[in-house]
Amino acid sequence: MSDIVTVDWYLILAAALFAIGVAGVLIRRNALVMFMSIELMLNSVNLTFVAVSKELGLIEGQVAALFVMVVAAAEVTVGLAIIVAIFRLRASANVDELAELKG
Amino acid sequence: MENAAFLPVAFEVVLLVGALVVLLVAVVADRDRRWWGPVAGLSFALAGAVGFLQWREVEETGGGLFFSSLDVPVFRSPMVVLDGYSAFAAMLLAVVGFVGLLAAWDLVVKVGKRGPEFVVLVLLAFAGLHMMTATPNLVVIFIGLETASIAFYVLAGFVRTSEASKEAALKYFLLGSLASALFLYGVALVFGATGSLSIYGANSIRNFFSTVIVAEPGILLAGMALMLVGLAFKVTAAPFHQWAPDVYQGAPTGAVGLMSAGIKVAAFAAIGRIFIGGFISQIDAWGPIVAVIAALSMIVGTFLALVQDDIKRLLAYSGVAHAGYILTALVAGVQGIGPMWFYLATYSLMVVGAFAVVSTVAGPDAGRAPLADFGGLAKANPELGWLMSSLVLGMAGIPFFAGFVGKVLSFTAAASVENPWPAGDNGYLWLVVLGTLTTVIGLAFYLRIISTMFTGQEPELQTEATLPIRFAVVISAVVTVVFGIVPWPLIDVVRDALPL
Repeated sequence: MSDIVTVDWYLILAAALFAIGVAGVLIRRNALVMFMSIELMLNSVNLTFVAVSKELGLIEGQVAALFVMVVAAAEVTVGLAIIVAIFRLRASANVDELAELKG
Repeated sequence: MENAAFLPVAFEVVLLVGALVVLLVAVVADRDRRWWGPVAGLSFALAGAVGFLQWREVEETGGGLFFSSLDVPVFRSPMVVLDGYSAFAAMLLAVVGFVGLLAAWDLVVKVGKRGPEFVVLVLLAFAGLHMMTATPNLVVIFIGLETASIAFYVLAGFVRTSEASKEAALKYFLLGSLASALFLYGVALVFGATGSLSIYGANSIRNFFSTVIVAEPGILLAGMALMLVGLAFKVTAAPFHQWAPDVYQGAPTGAVGLMSAGIKVAAFAAIGRIFIGGFISQIDAWGPIVAVIAALSMIVGTFLALVQDDIKRLLAYSGVAHAGYILTALVAGVQGIGPMWFYLATYSLMVVGAFAVVSTVAGPDAGRAPLADFGGLAKANPELGWLMSSLVLGMAGIPFFAGFVGKVLSFTAAASVENPWPAGDNGYLWLVVLGTLTTVIGLAFYLRIISTMFTGQEPELQTEATLPIRFAVVISAVVTVVFGIVPWPLIDVVRDALPL
């Protein structure tokens, strides 16, 4: 076991975070928690971008991470607005109660 | 070529300027006169003209890559590409946006003072959609995808008083964001595997494949699979389609047409650009997967559409089946690009026209639209009945309607390529046979719409279409019929709409 932290460690950590995020979206039923899980997925992607960028000596990955942060922020604004609108209607953010549309 | 420095991004610039003008003027101007309609229409018309100029430029010079700084070695990757592919996408998206806005005009009138916001969101969304088709950079594709998707989440929830609209917005938002995140992780993994975010250019994915033999393709394949899943979500291909029926049903009817048509055009174009432009050397890896997704989409879409009682859900499931037919063309590689464009160009207008009719009958801000409400539509309003019938027949793929030509082109492309799995030189014959079978089964629900319109009771609902809606429906029906009978002009054009 080497005590040097290589890029693999970052990639594995990012993959684990991404998997936790996917599991969170699929398993949890609170819209806010699902949304947090999606943010976790986006941030694990950022970690991947930055780790690869550092390893390969390319600046593009770090630039990409900045862009992703901006996009994630834009998504937060719209997403929270939608969740607040739903919450005002039902005083609950449980997605299982939103089953008016089905078939 | 002096003007070319501006021309490659002119489509986006025109739409963004239109959006900014509407936003700024809406602060001070009178909101009772609905002047934002002409502004948006003019923006789309100018954008269409830009698309035509781009097409001419490509014909003369062959197009090329733009906005890469060769002075700074680390920023070598180009950000914009001008080729037949992006120019055709510009023309198509301008037409879809224009006709879609006409079809949405009842909704714009109904939301009253919030009209400028609606128009701005549509303009921004279409700028993002074209960005997806006109860039070789995977991160810019993601940004375009999100620009369009975030605008569409808002459009889906635009009617504040409707519970269904809010539910649709939340479902679209959660699943759409999940799809975007999957796509983005795919981009990151491909970046890790190839060391590049760009499809073309000096330090590109294409160069990587032509110079390097990939020994351990695990990460690369995972990245490609994630990108495919993310985009398959957006084009509502099975098994990633579950959000579509709920969102289509809940979202305000007037907006559904341009939302679904726009995202389908751009996301399919992105699939073509990434997988056929960038990963064509890996077609043995992704071709069979795309074929399986196509097969599932055709089966799931067709059979679930059979049991729907709501016309918006029915059209959503029919859209799933159509996604399968378009993916059938893409398994053929470069030969599939032309059929894909033909199918997209005709199908997107059929969808916009069909939802325009639904929005007249069910109301532009309505959630539900039971099929029974269409009973006797053709008796009460023969013009609308016949136009809707021709659109539905076009979707069904009856000869002499454009959908038939699209399906023939798509199936021919799929049957003509070498098939890696199961190995054989007879092409994806199983996929073509399956596609033909589902087309025949699909006739059942398409003809059910028509028979309901021509036989049912006289409806008490609104059947008199407003002028913009009539324009939208007539344009889409004319396209469906004309390109069904005389498809050759469009076939000649899409033959040149190839990626660089």
